[in-house]
Amino acid sequence: MRAVGLYTGWGAGVAALPAAARRAAAGQRLLSLGPALITGERFRRSTREALWGLAAVHAMLEDGGAPAEAIAGDRTALLFVTAAAYGPSNRVFIDGGGAGASGASGMHFAYTAPAVLPAEIAIELGVRGAGITLIGGAPATLHAIWQAANCLARGTCDRALVVAVEVFAECGDLYRLAGRWMDGPLVEAAACVWLEPGEGTLRLAGGRRAGAARGRSPLSAAARRRAGELAACEPLAALALWRAAGGAEPLRLTGAWNGEVASLEWESAPDEDGRHTHMTGSAKATESAGGASALPAAAR
Amino acid sequence: MPAIERITIAGAGVVTAIGQDVDAFWSGLLTGADGISAIERFRVDDLRVGQGGEIKKLTRDVAWGRTPDCRASRLLVAAADELRAQTGLRDLGVAPERLAVVVGTALGGVEELERALEGDGGRRRLRGALYDTPGANLARWLGARGPVLTVATACASGATAIGVGADLLRHGQADAVIAGGYDVLCRFVMRGFHALRSLTRDRIRPFDRRRSGLLLGEGAALVLLTRERDWRQRPLGWLRGHASTSDGHHISAPHPEGRGLERAIGLALAEADLSPDDVDFVSAHGTGTPLNDPIETAVLKRALGRRAAAVPVNSIKPVLGHTMGAAATLEAIMCLLASRHGQIPPTRHLEEPDPSCDLDYVPGASPRAARPRVSVSTSLGFGGCNAALVLEGVIA
Repeated sequence: MRAVGLYTGWGAGVAALPAAARRAAAGQRLLSLGPALITGERFRRSTREALWGLAAVHAMLEDGGAPAEAIAGDRTALLFVTAAAYGPSNRVFIDGGGAGASGASGMHFAYTAPAVLPAEIAIELGVRGAGITLIGGAPATLHAIWQAANCLARGTCDRALVVAVEVFAECGDLYRLAGRWMDGPLVEAAACVWLEPGEGTLRLAGGRRAGAARGRSPLSAAARRRAGELAACEPLAALALWRAAGGAEPLRLTGAWNGEVASLEWESAPDEDGRHTHMTGSAKATESAGGASALPAAAR
Repeated sequence: MPAIERITIAGAGVVTAIGQDVDAFWSGLLTGADGISAIERFRVDDLRVGQGGEIKKLTRDVAWGRTPDCRASRLLVAAADELRAQTGLRDLGVAPERLAVVVGTALGGVEELERALEGDGGRRRLRGALYDTPGANLARWLGARGPVLTVATACASGATAIGVGADLLRHGQADAVIAGGYDVLCRFVMRGFHALRSLTRDRIRPFDRRRSGLLLGEGAALVLLTRERDWRQRPLGWLRGHASTSDGHHISAPHPEGRGLERAIGLALAEADLSPDDVDFVSAHGTGTPLNDPIETAVLKRALGRRAAAVPVNSIKPVLGHTMGAAATLEAIMCLLASRHGQIPPTRHLEEPDPSCDLDYVPGASPRAARPRVSVSTSLGFGGCNAALVLEGVIA
């Protein structure tokens, strides 16, 4: 994992996260990211959620000390995940038309598509490689990281960005009505990690209540405890915490959403002195165990 | 890039406006069934266009104690019911935790949100409004306990879902995958395309100089994917390669030169370790919009090179409407049926070819006798999404 960018309803980066989200929320059930940081004529039609995704990528570039050109081109894969960030645009489009057909623009309709959120990033930064959008919470993000590793291992790309965005504020009343307040405050977030080829073993296990992934990893538990319910952003926030803590291995992430669970484990190949020096090098097939499959791959 | 393991497409299940099983779907494509009709299920009187590929009555409405009152879920379950019957899925011996589900959609459960906001159903509807709910419902109905993923690459979703499903198999995440796509016609999407002014009052006429836009449709299409060594019966065909790419150009319009789609075709062929010379047939996205068709023509010319003019290319959207998340899966199934039956369905309503669309688009009302072994299916969607599948059919 070369770099990470993170915004949450608590602020920028892991430094903004409280020790305990529930206590810090002091009864608030939803913490918003607020208005988009990025503005300007080029983005006049864009949505808050799309612009927060773009902001997370910029934060990632800053973290990696890289210019935007470093991720431009057709050798960069972009994998995007969200559980609910399409909600506001969908709602506004439905409400905007009222009973009739008027009142809703075609461009507004285009922004209701989840795939348009990563498109805003791709257009702005010239990312033109493999692109996949998954819908779901933390398990979908773990699958996206695994898919990114697939792309890197197969040589389809030289680098992969995994981006997740969640916004809830515009639909807060609907989540309340649906009884979907989750466990802890709903916290809006946007996050991005930059993955490059590495040598080691990546294992994914997932399914509907699969035994292999039932327990929450300490890292993922810490992300939830400190940040609250981040849905698809949780694994990326956990990676940001992991990196900030020095990146001890093996790395294990877990996630649960809507009856689906998944876990992802990474251990880099040891160097000549037997030390795990994070993740660099090439990709090569590795072992498979139980319900999990192993993939050589990416990520630091 | 080394070739990757080909994946068996064991069988299929479909629900469309021209047929609610694979045989009826195929027969409809060959005989010229017309799935386009006046939309009856919701209000369209205030829209410029009130036609689409609407399924009037779901004949395979599967009894299921907990079947949600959600049309998207019902379409998916109906397609899965046929797939399960065709492939003997229950007899395969795949453990539930090794059965995965990957579905693609452009709209997910948005009709549930629309109805909830209109005061119909409240909490029950809202719980179904997330885009991944219909896929989760399908998994519950199937008893699948492996990974359940929802792909949303707009109108390319049905192709991307098959590619993602194949990856789950190749890397040991599952022993069988139900993959495909779905979407329902609802007021939300009709209003959207109305606002975009993309809908035609005429017929869908891909590659015709008079083409004036698309019509929407609805449906669900699923395939059973397995590793080749795990399937002992005659399959429908094989997935040889897949690629999904981003244009990075415009929110809703395709790249003017189709560079992203061209990359997708090239990557999918490379994954299959095949060359353009191996391609026998192309199922085009072929929406019949003024913008799409010449771009796609130019892309196919570059991607297939000197053979482009010799390769038959069709679009089946004129009879189904653009079924969005289901479209690419339906088109992939059509490619494999063309190999099996030795006939390529025509591009209906293509009567006056556009000079800028000068490939062999299988015009007319009659199918073309041919036995394509290798097919390429192309798809595009909002957000600059592109996908290409390379498929190999079984030739009798």
